[in-house]
Amino acid sequence: MNLLPDLRIVLDELTERFGARIEHAHAPQPNELYLHTKLELVGALCSAFYKKYQGRLAGVFAEDARAERDVFFVYYLYALDAAHGFVFVRVPVPSDNPELPSLTNAIHAVNWQEREIQDLFGIKLLGHPNPRRCVLHDDWPEVYPLRKDFDLHTKLPPFTGARHRFREVEGEGVFQVPVGPVHAGIIEPGHFLFSVAGEPVLYLQLRMFYVHKGIEKLFESLPIPHCVRLAESISGDSSFAHATAFCHAIERVAEVEAPPRARALRTLCLELERLYNHVADIGAICTDVAFVTAHMHAMRLKEAVLRVNELLTGNRLLRGMPCLGGVRFDFEDDQMRAAAKLVDDFEKEFKDLVELIRSHSGTRDRLETTGVLKPEVTRNLGIVGIAGRASGFDHDLRRDFPHAFYDQVRFSVPIFTEGDVQRRMVVRREELFQSLGIIRQVLEKLPAGPIQTKIEEVPSDRVALGYVEGWRGEIFHWIHTAPGNRLARCKVKDPSLQNWPALSEAILGNIIPDFPVVNKSFNLSYSGTDR
Amino acid sequence: MNLDPVATLAQAILLLLLAPVLSGLIKTWKATLQNRRGPPIWQPYFDLLKFLRKDMVISEHTSWIFSVTPYVLFLTALAAGLLVPMVSARAPMSLFGGVLALVGLMALGRFFLALGGLDPASAFGGMGSSREMTISAIAEPAMMLAIFTVAITAGSTNLSQIVLASQGPGWKFLDPSRALAFTAMFIVLLAETGRIPVDNPATHLELTMIHEAMLLEYSGRYLALIEWAASIKQLVLMSLLANIFFPVGLAAETTPVAFGLGLLFFVAKLIVLAGAVVLVETTNAKLRLFRVPDLLSAAFILATLALVSTFLFT
Repeated sequence: MNLLPDLRIVLDELTERFGARIEHAHAPQPNELYLHTKLELVGALCSAFYKKYQGRLAGVFAEDARAERDVFFVYYLYALDAAHGFVFVRVPVPSDNPELPSLTNAIHAVNWQEREIQDLFGIKLLGHPNPRRCVLHDDWPEVYPLRKDFDLHTKLPPFTGARHRFREVEGEGVFQVPVGPVHAGIIEPGHFLFSVAGEPVLYLQLRMFYVHKGIEKLFESLPIPHCVRLAESISGDSSFAHATAFCHAIERVAEVEAPPRARALRTLCLELERLYNHVADIGAICTDVAFVTAHMHAMRLKEAVLRVNELLTGNRLLRGMPCLGGVRFDFEDDQMRAAAKLVDDFEKEFKDLVELIRSHSGTRDRLETTGVLKPEVTRNLGIVGIAGRASGFDHDLRRDFPHAFYDQVRFSVPIFTEGDVQRRMVVRREELFQSLGIIRQVLEKLPAGPIQTKIEEVPSDRVALGYVEGWRGEIFHWIHTAPGNRLARCKVKDPSLQNWPALSEAILGNIIPDFPVVNKSFNLSYSGTDR
Repeated sequence: MNLDPVATLAQAILLLLLAPVLSGLIKTWKATLQNRRGPPIWQPYFDLLKFLRKDMVISEHTSWIFSVTPYVLFLTALAAGLLVPMVSARAPMSLFGGVLALVGLMALGRFFLALGGLDPASAFGGMGSSREMTISAIAEPAMMLAIFTVAITAGSTNLSQIVLASQGPGWKFLDPSRALAFTAMFIVLLAETGRIPVDNPATHLELTMIHEAMLLEYSGRYLALIEWAASIKQLVLMSLLANIFFPVGLAAETTPVAFGLGLLFFVAKLIVLAGAVVLVETTNAKLRLFRVPDLLSAAFILATLALVSTFLFT
């Protein structure tokens, strides 16, 4: 078994401690370890990973293996950032009376994910503090769409189930302000129920999952090469990151690696995606405090990036560029020059924009100390990406698990501990400067050679994790292959799913008119949450 | 109550026609300063026409207050406008109390608008009404004090008298009491017309709205009336500011030349004021809601100082 030394130590220690109760261990990749064990061990392993190995539970998901083994499998994905490795704990859940002890009381980060398993697989959660419906709303009939015996083309009868009951907040002068699910801007649906006493917010209840598209089910119905396009459409603003994470997973299953030039171009595109999203967010934060001038400049800069995206890949959002084993298009010299020019122009203009915002005391006054997400809460909820890094959670897949070309470039990861809107904006600002540096280095070091490794048919019954640090945070695609170049299961983990609950915490003690800017500082994807 | 029918009709028409273009001008200039290509300055007329033609969607939970509000708002704004000298030094209408009547008319309109916001019991209307009332509780006294400063010098609360008294050789703008009162009134203007840093007229974020939040349930003809009333109110406040503190070029005689000249001066003053509003809106972010009373208290204090200094320096 070819395993990273740090993971080898972890495995040896765990085998010593739990002996034969860890039934089987295998590592398809050096940084990806699978432990097959029983349900009883889940809690003990979880506490071992958290307490001893500085791990974090980055994902929980299930798989229907009733046809082959007569069980459901539940996977716990631990990211050991310090050891640079991923550990999967796989446990069987019997199919006749599927029940799963919940970890949410200990690890709040998995609240929604465990409930997703309950809704989509019909595995009952034991000891969950709030085991109500989540991804499939209360009015859905009793169906479990991710079970294999649920046909993709099933037509459900009109929904007649009960309406969702929100928690009631009582007290003198306490009012409920419902907002959404349809909003004034052109955004996706999500319902926010504020309980307020005057302007201050006492409690915020979020209700997402209005747009369940069954993407994970769709993955199981398509030939693998088509799945790349599906992965692109999981969340529009992270098209490239999602598709690349998916391709990464397939490449790991097929045991091929994208050629160096392809990895460099992937890095370039990932950073372009970060560039346009971060600058747009900085502008949007400004416009939410009515400092429109900065917003307009930011939009101009975003447009410049989008045009270069189109010039490079034929699509403003980099769609169509990712493909299995590499990237679809190589860049000509003049395209490279356009990218280099973009970096120079962008840096100069972005510095002006930064100065404009920095010198504007009114904006600063609005952003500082607004929407504070405390570091303890951040860890507890497992908040990832920019929101995590603004609240002292120091992790970044680009640095800790170098993928694509990130092991060849130098960059730093900005970390702040204050966790307010201002810091979430500053993290974006600093990451933008780092991105420009990364793009420069990539253009300088760009290796020659092919841009694609051909992948014929993917071997069946293999598992692999694909991962990418998207602009919003870490994106995981876990796959289990099936015969005939298809997938038995594809689990998509978007950072938005992890980060939404942070909003309820960050808004506490703030006033209602500050909510839009706090929300914007997280800028989470509805579509990525509800695949 | 004095009423000059011809002058009243003329000023009413002026108010109705000039008010939208002033809003349009501010919008367009704001866009230009923000590197955008804005709407044409005539856009508000098209918007009004569009709203007037459209059907109304009215919540079934509303009472008569909801339907009466647009008319009250429109008529009070128009009546307030008739009390202010615009082109001629003599306002076409004078009610008891002069400027007190003007403030009272505006308060009446606001009272109904706040009720109209509450009436449909929607999530945002009540929020807007409560915020509007909080703000006007401080803005209104600041405005009264600022106008009293000028009224004391003129010895009358009748706006025509104030303007006539401050015309002529005795007028100096740099008089400390006037400068302070002008600043206070300008801040009140920003608050009363829902401008940044108090409110953002261009936002789509309901949770941050003040004035707009009260209008969210209105549509069609009612919305047109309210929008029109809002721009008339803006014109009234701006002409108050322009003519009380800069009583230059107001027509004293009833000749066409004097009126033409008066109109020219009036428009020029409005354009300068609109420019000032645009500059403030572009260079400022919106204040935190709980900081808005600080700003308005500053206006109140300035107005108080202005009033005190009238007694000190005369």
